[in-house]
Amino acid sequence: MLILLICLIILALLGLPLFVALGAGGLYASVQSDLDPVVLIIELYRLANQPNLISIPLFTLAGMTMAAGGGPKRLIKLFDALLGWMPGGLAMAAIVSCAFFTAFTGASGVTIIALGGLLYPMFMQANYSEKFSLGLLTSSGSLGLLFPPSLAILLYGIVSGTSIDELFLAGIIPGLILLVLLSLYSYKSALKWHQPADDFSWGKLAQASRETIWDIFLPILVIIGIFGGFVTVTEAAAVTAAYALFIETVVYKEIKLSSDLPEILIDTCKLVGSILIILGVAMGLTNLLIDTQLPSKLLSLVESHITSQLEFLLLLNLFLLVIGAMMDIFSAIVVVVPLIMPLALRYQIDPVHLGIIFLANLEIGYMTPPVGINLFIASQRFGKSILTLFQSAMPFLGIMLLWLLMVSYIPALTLWWK
Amino acid sequence: MISDFFYRTRLTLIQLEKFLGAISLITLLGIALLQVILRNIFELGFSDMDVVARHLVLFVTFMGAALASEGNRHIKIDCISSAIKQSYRDKLRRPLISISSLVCGIFFWYSLQFWLDEYQYAPDNEQLALYMALILPAGFFVLSLHFFLIVVSPESIPDEQAG
Repeated sequence: MLILLICLIILALLGLPLFVALGAGGLYASVQSDLDPVVLIIELYRLANQPNLISIPLFTLAGMTMAAGGGPKRLIKLFDALLGWMPGGLAMAAIVSCAFFTAFTGASGVTIIALGGLLYPMFMQANYSEKFSLGLLTSSGSLGLLFPPSLAILLYGIVSGTSIDELFLAGIIPGLILLVLLSLYSYKSALKWHQPADDFSWGKLAQASRETIWDIFLPILVIIGIFGGFVTVTEAAAVTAAYALFIETVVYKEIKLSSDLPEILIDTCKLVGSILIILGVAMGLTNLLIDTQLPSKLLSLVESHITSQLEFLLLLNLFLLVIGAMMDIFSAIVVVVPLIMPLALRYQIDPVHLGIIFLANLEIGYMTPPVGINLFIASQRFGKSILTLFQSAMPFLGIMLLWLLMVSYIPALTLWWK
Repeated sequence: MISDFFYRTRLTLIQLEKFLGAISLITLLGIALLQVILRNIFELGFSDMDVVARHLVLFVTFMGAALASEGNRHIKIDCISSAIKQSYRDKLRRPLISISSLVCGIFFWYSLQFWLDEYQYAPDNEQLALYMALILPAGFFVLSLHFFLIVVSPESIPDEQAG
């Protein structure tokens, strides 16, 4: 039986779909525990009792609708009008646009595909260095991961049982700090190249604002709706999806209901399906692992070597960075969170703070080899090698690591509202 | 001739998955919106609508997962495969998809057992959830069948049809 388990791990590393590997692992674990594998289905069916789960397909639909419409182009135009006059302004506009867009599309690669293709020629035209442009665009594909209504936060909240509202609130300041740090770096880099800056124009800003007013209202709707206590997360998701469909079909007329909508719905189904099937199948396996006392054994092991919260956080960061470099963010949330949650609680780390640390690490993992998905998508999008892109992204990676330390060791940044 | 039959079956299955996935998602949006309006404006709520909405997420999940099988778009930890040659990866593809079909087939069997148990003991007020739960065996059957059809008719489907 051990041979079977080893074979399964090898197959997973060779490219077996993760949900199949987890499902087979669950079957194996249930047989080992003398349990009827029907328990796996019972656990999977618990998904249908998670009211917040409805928000995942609906927020994803909103993001996909914006991506298929003219959202990316309008956002770049607005933030360019707002920030483009400063040295490094175009880079700052790219950072803010990507963060805005990723919050809605869930860092699924859509940002690099939708915005990267528009921004790269703009960077080249504005005489930015190729290395800087590639590095920025590769890193920016996961920048909005901590902003509401991030898909990763929703999934973390569902898997860990932590309040999604609190996670949304906790992610805002760390997310903003990262944007500021990257913007400062862009400003400094642009000064070094004597980057020609456009003049600020009220007229240009007013025109861009008029064009994007409906888009800008979208995150305001989510933030005020949820934090103001007017709607639940699920209700906010429904309203957001309907609003995105409304503005793209009726206001901007970028999407045709008859020809474009079916494709958007299908793309949303594929993205949601490939994530939630992992969650469903993994629920059975993780519960079996909990039944076999694996987290308790892990806790005893860690306790015998780690004595302080500081040491634990350091180890946690190293572990999660490795996980982030090996696994996709959604699979990592589903598989790793149930195992590390008891450990973090033992070291008195707030579950909300843990969530932000977890996602911050995985955000960095997006641009780290061997499987950092941003590297692969950017490689396809810009026709550059993974190595070139990784080298280009190194300064940004350094800044993000510094930011990670801040987020990990200054809990007030995430828990200021408590 | 047989491979042509499998190919056409695969195309039909893709159309069915697309249809069910898209319809489920748009219905989910419709129900969720209706609930927002009923709850916030008329202070009304219908538990049956909630049951349907939560099950529709499973419909979207299974149909989406089946569609993601086309073009090998499932999430993977392919840290070894990304480092090996394309020719080796191509050789690995069919065995990996066969295993996927087998595992989904096993899950189909156990989800059918689960559903039949539920069918016997479900109280009257849970009949709607019971029938909606048919998506569990149906979903795993579709997944298993889809993987199987990719194994037996490995020709790639044009992008516009694969979705």
